[in-house]
Amino acid sequence: MKEITLTINGNQVKGKEGDTVLDICQANGIDLPTLCHYKGLNDVGACRLCVVEIERERRPVPACTYPARDGLVIHTHNEKLEKYRRLVLELLFTERNHLCAQCVASGDCELQNLAYKYQMDNARYPYSWPALPVDSVNDYLVIDHNRCILCGRCIRTCDEIVGVHTLDFGYRGWKDMVVADLNQPLGQSSCISCGACFQVCPTGAIFSKNSAYKGRPEECKKVNSVCPVCGVGCQIEALVKDNRLVRIDSPDLTDKRGILCHKGRFAPLYRKHERIDTALVKNGRGKLESRPLSEAIDIVAKRLAELKSRYGNNSIAGIASSQASNESLKAFKEFITGTIGSKLIDTLDGDIYRATAQGINIYQEKAGLDTETLLEEILKADCILVVGANPLESHPVAGSYIARAARQNKAKLIVIDPAQNAFSYHTALWLKPKEGKESLALSTLTKAVIDKGAKKDSAQVKKITASLKDINVKQGSEQAGIGADDLLEAAEMLSKAKYSVIIYGEGILQHKNPGLITSLLNLATIASSQGAGKPRIISLKPKGNSRGAWDMGIAHTSQSIMKNLTGNNVKALYILLSDDYVNASQLPNLGKGLEFVVVQSSYLSSAMSKANVVLPSPIWAEVGEKYSTLDGVAKSTSRLIKPSDDIKADPEILREISKHMKK
Amino acid sequence: MAKVKVATVWLEGCAGCHMSFLDIDEAIIELAKVVEFSRSPITDIKEFVPVDVGIVEGSVGNTEEEEVLKELRAHCKILMAWGDCACFGGVCAMRSSFDKEDALRRGYIETESTHKGKIPRPPGVPALLDQVKPANHIVKVDCYVPGCPPEPKAILYALNELLAGRIPVLPSDMMRFD
Repeated sequence: MKEITLTINGNQVKGKEGDTVLDICQANGIDLPTLCHYKGLNDVGACRLCVVEIERERRPVPACTYPARDGLVIHTHNEKLEKYRRLVLELLFTERNHLCAQCVASGDCELQNLAYKYQMDNARYPYSWPALPVDSVNDYLVIDHNRCILCGRCIRTCDEIVGVHTLDFGYRGWKDMVVADLNQPLGQSSCISCGACFQVCPTGAIFSKNSAYKGRPEECKKVNSVCPVCGVGCQIEALVKDNRLVRIDSPDLTDKRGILCHKGRFAPLYRKHERIDTALVKNGRGKLESRPLSEAIDIVAKRLAELKSRYGNNSIAGIASSQASNESLKAFKEFITGTIGSKLIDTLDGDIYRATAQGINIYQEKAGLDTETLLEEILKADCILVVGANPLESHPVAGSYIARAARQNKAKLIVIDPAQNAFSYHTALWLKPKEGKESLALSTLTKAVIDKGAKKDSAQVKKITASLKDINVKQGSEQAGIGADDLLEAAEMLSKAKYSVIIYGEGILQHKNPGLITSLLNLATIASSQGAGKPRIISLKPKGNSRGAWDMGIAHTSQSIMKNLTGNNVKALYILLSDDYVNASQLPNLGKGLEFVVVQSSYLSSAMSKANVVLPSPIWAEVGEKYSTLDGVAKSTSRLIKPSDDIKADPEILREISKHMKK
Repeated sequence: MAKVKVATVWLEGCAGCHMSFLDIDEAIIELAKVVEFSRSPITDIKEFVPVDVGIVEGSVGNTEEEEVLKELRAHCKILMAWGDCACFGGVCAMRSSFDKEDALRRGYIETESTHKGKIPRPPGVPALLDQVKPANHIVKVDCYVPGCPPEPKAILYALNELLAGRIPVLPSDMMRFD
């Protein structure tokens, strides 16, 4: 990058070609007021506050959109410019409703801060008082157009960072306003409620329902952590006041895993399910009643020790939710396989893991999730295949990456899914195979890509080609319920791609079919044989710490214990749910022979009806623990709030029971 | 030295600015030595006499308030606005984006707790203006102390500046709109 020299306020400063005048001012500590500028967004020069004088320019120009050139002579602060800036502020204050005493953002508002800075103690211009709507249809967000200054930050964030592009300007001139889609209420639009617009809004125009009036940022403690909810592992910055979550933001929207979605940003501010805050023990009348934790631990230890000595180690089974942290899962494994000495340990998503592992095993000699790639690869892709997944709903940040690649890199997005998909308008091609014919559709597509001319030099490609030799593309696509033309078009896109990425999820995993996983790996291998690097494939796993649970080997690769439960051999079951909300229908069928069931959980649900003892778990925000992201990166969370006194971390309770059993 | 004469009026507002003024605590004793109040909600004197400083709290939402403000301006040398209502319109200006008849109907008839309500229109009740205005949209205002209400220290700062012969402009760290 070529270095350039400019004169700003009489001083020589350096920058590089491609910088704007604002970039160079900021790099040199020159404080220019801005409202529409936001780090990481394209500048548009909407607010006119950063106006500067540049010699040979007839009038002041916005620094944020003016490309810096060698030899420019710039003045940033003089009486005339300061007068203009105050004038702009007064015009902004009189255009709509900017009366701070009635605004949720007062005390945390960039417009207000600038008015203070410029000592704007009155507004000389007549107020326009347009009667603008307030849109509160969305579950989490409100747009009060009366507070909007039309800076367009939300619109650019929605487009450039989130990739969804729900928001844009509607109408023209005087009637200009921010609209969602074709002026739908936000809650009925394509909005994914990620809340990035709320984070970047400089005023109170976009605010969060459950953060409003709970505390100003300066009254809150800021804690950086990681969201463990879906396994993407986004960075969060939580604002906490009086042991209550006030607001969750991204520390930097433009950073790696910095976008956030409604599950990480808003859901933790709500208390959707009833918490368990004491231990519960089934009494003589079969009802769960609240008991001191120490007493409940004692009962569990005694009963388990009794059953273990009477029926043997393998009469006790343990099932964990993969939403639990690495620490909880590790302690659970030690407890079931160590203290109790049972082989019967599994996760609720164990069958999915086994199918995945077997599928990988057919594809290559050793099974391992290292066949998968990092989510960031999506952003580099020029062709993306989404199979049996709805990422904008299940893993919205992964969905954002896909939408961004499709919008910004013009990546071709192919969806293979018989079900509805939120990617409707990003999608170049949507193939809808018949239910149960997904495997055939994938194999046929792979074959079609090979026919387009795959490089057949590697052993893996040769092996795959040989395995598909009997497939006829025309017949295969017909049987799978896809038009042959569509399938060939998809094959064309994949074979032309230099950097293709395949993402699959729930729609594939739910079949627990190893063959599907092998087909996907085969397709990824063939698709990437044209371009650079190894096959790129990512599975959107069912729970926030599925990868952690699977890597730790909680679920055996060979046998499912779910089926054993209905036999008469299993006499006791320990279910660790942690902060996963699981109801009875999501648990495996429990056998009649079961004599004792322990459930350790944060939330009360119908699953408790089967329990003899219920032990309380903290939620993720109440402990600092480790989780593995779905693409295999270990991340640590921080404690944001304290749990109530009777709630102990899962490992602590498990170790306590262990200690009692060994007595 | 003769005392500085001050008059204050309370227009469309909540009296919070006057309360905030009384909140200057012991400073009021020193102030009383150099300042004399004529018409003010604090003295309950109703007549205007010529004064050095006129102070207005509240915005202008009806014909009476407009008249009182004009009269205050005519009787004072320097006019100071206290609070967000007088400086910008404030909470009272919330009705400005609606038609005034709609606002009256909402207030007197449609409120959830109202049964068989009607809009009172006895003769002599001042008529609402179409929009609620800050003081400087009606008369010339010389200085401003924004805030809802302004901090007592901001009010005291402004008064002391005036007593020192300067037109006060609040420094940025004393500026507040809430």
